[in-house]
Amino acid sequence: MRGYVLSRLAQTVLVVFLSLTAVFAMVRLSGDPVTLFMPMDIQAKDINEFRERLGFNDPIAVQYARFIGGAVRGDFGESLRYKQDALGLVLERLPATLLLAGTALALTFAVAVPLGVLSAVRRDGPFDHIATVTTVLGQAVPGFWLGLMLIYVFAVQLRWLPTGGIGTAAHLIMPSIVLAAFYSARVARLTRSAVLDILNEEYILTARAKGLAERRVIGKHTLRNSAIPIVTLAGLEAGQLLGGAVITETIFAWPGLGRLTVQALLNRDFPVVLAAVSLTSIIYTLMNLVVDLLYGWLDPRVRVRA
Amino acid sequence: MKVKAWLGLGITVTALLGAAFAPWLSAHDPLAADFAAFLKPPGTAGHPLGTDQLGRDLLARVLHGARLALFIGACTVLITAVVGGLLGLLAGFFERWPSTVLMRIADVQLSFPFILLALTINAIVGLGLRNIIISLSAAGWVIYARVVRGEVLSVKQRDFVQAAAALGVGRGRLLFRHVLPNVAPSIIVVASLQFSQFIVAEAAISFLGFGVQPPTPAWGSMLSESRDFLYIAWWLAAFPGAALALTALGVNLLGDWLRDTLDPKLRV
Repeated sequence: MRGYVLSRLAQTVLVVFLSLTAVFAMVRLSGDPVTLFMPMDIQAKDINEFRERLGFNDPIAVQYARFIGGAVRGDFGESLRYKQDALGLVLERLPATLLLAGTALALTFAVAVPLGVLSAVRRDGPFDHIATVTTVLGQAVPGFWLGLMLIYVFAVQLRWLPTGGIGTAAHLIMPSIVLAAFYSARVARLTRSAVLDILNEEYILTARAKGLAERRVIGKHTLRNSAIPIVTLAGLEAGQLLGGAVITETIFAWPGLGRLTVQALLNRDFPVVLAAVSLTSIIYTLMNLVVDLLYGWLDPRVRVRA
Repeated sequence: MKVKAWLGLGITVTALLGAAFAPWLSAHDPLAADFAAFLKPPGTAGHPLGTDQLGRDLLARVLHGARLALFIGACTVLITAVVGGLLGLLAGFFERWPSTVLMRIADVQLSFPFILLALTINAIVGLGLRNIIISLSAAGWVIYARVVRGEVLSVKQRDFVQAAAALGVGRGRLLFRHVLPNVAPSIIVVASLQFSQFIVAEAAISFLGFGVQPPTPAWGSMLSESRDFLYIAWWLAAFPGAALALTALGVNLLGDWLRDTLDPKLRV
């Protein structure tokens, strides 16, 4: 187990390092940074001053070293718009995103996993059919449209919920439902197929043949064994919540990391973009690492293969 | 299962027909403003889905939006399938360093959520139709490379490939005549499942203010504009979004069916 953890840790560090390089390359090598970093209406005489001040006149290798050196110390430069430390700005917004994503995650596990299990156990019954239709719809309906429609019904027409912003529990309801919708549909389908796989195993047949109550067959033999693929796949998918947050937060004016990223991209505030995208990528990679380690701990066969 | 496949086919064909015959299905120009008839509700004479804030016919805009969405989806799927498929084929076949390099690149790309990566690339390469296709392709090819590489690694070990190699069949012929046909079903399945992801992602990116810009009738930018009128004109948000959701649904159902028939083991 120790060797497995160490090798996965080393891999993660490498991926984070390469991701930072990719972020730098995307922003820096795709053209003249002044046109990216600067407002569109900038005066020609100011351009060179900006170049000098932001270090764009230095050789690319120096700039790269400075970027990586800064990133390691958590220094991505100063926001061009807010004149604040870029990472500080990003970290300020992180708790709101974690609250939203955490709620969506909890909602998903509370709804999607039971839905998937019941669907598999009652395979081809009416419940399974309704659940299948729901999950297929859930995967097709885009989150931002679902968000607009919910706002129209519950905020504009019924006036039950606020249209956006953060503050009370009521503010959290629509954004977390929208963020959870697509993810729940995925998890419900994954759960269903994972449980069906286990139900086909011979030890389930044995359990039934020796006369165990169906409750025990499902509750103990099936669920415990299907937990591994469910946890893994759901965990790997959970990172997509960070992507979903970009859109959900924008619709509901939720002051989180995703909305900040979109605003920074629109404002061409690239130090903030660098900080936000790098942080998202690091969190995402760490989540994958945790899932992998969890997987290795739950299922010893994985450790050996790796 | 049959029902779902037929439903998917029906919806997809409807979307295709709507896109192909857009100018004939609605007499209006999707860009022509008519300030005398702005924000008319659905059912208004001459405007079955109503009009938007500039009096443009919503039906015409939704139909032309279908053209754009399907065109972007088709281009992106084609580019990613060819590029990703080819790279995966080569990496799986030659293993050693091309494989390692490719898998590292894949790891790095997969350390960003797809939509964030596509969005960031788009903000950098610039707005417009061509650039949204480039951005989505750049963010989306990895999945093919991964799936195809994995498949090639196992197909390569099969007896008929070994036998062909033993008979002295050249590498190129081996790769394209013996390996490729056996991984092609996976490429087709991934492509069909990616199609709806691409059109939804394009709409999301345009919704956020990047990608395809107004006044071009893209579903995403139409939805973005509709937000300002949500209190008074629900139809501006309802119809483009419904068209997008239905199209995604139809293509997903077809993709599910393709996977179940061609490659039931594949998990994407």
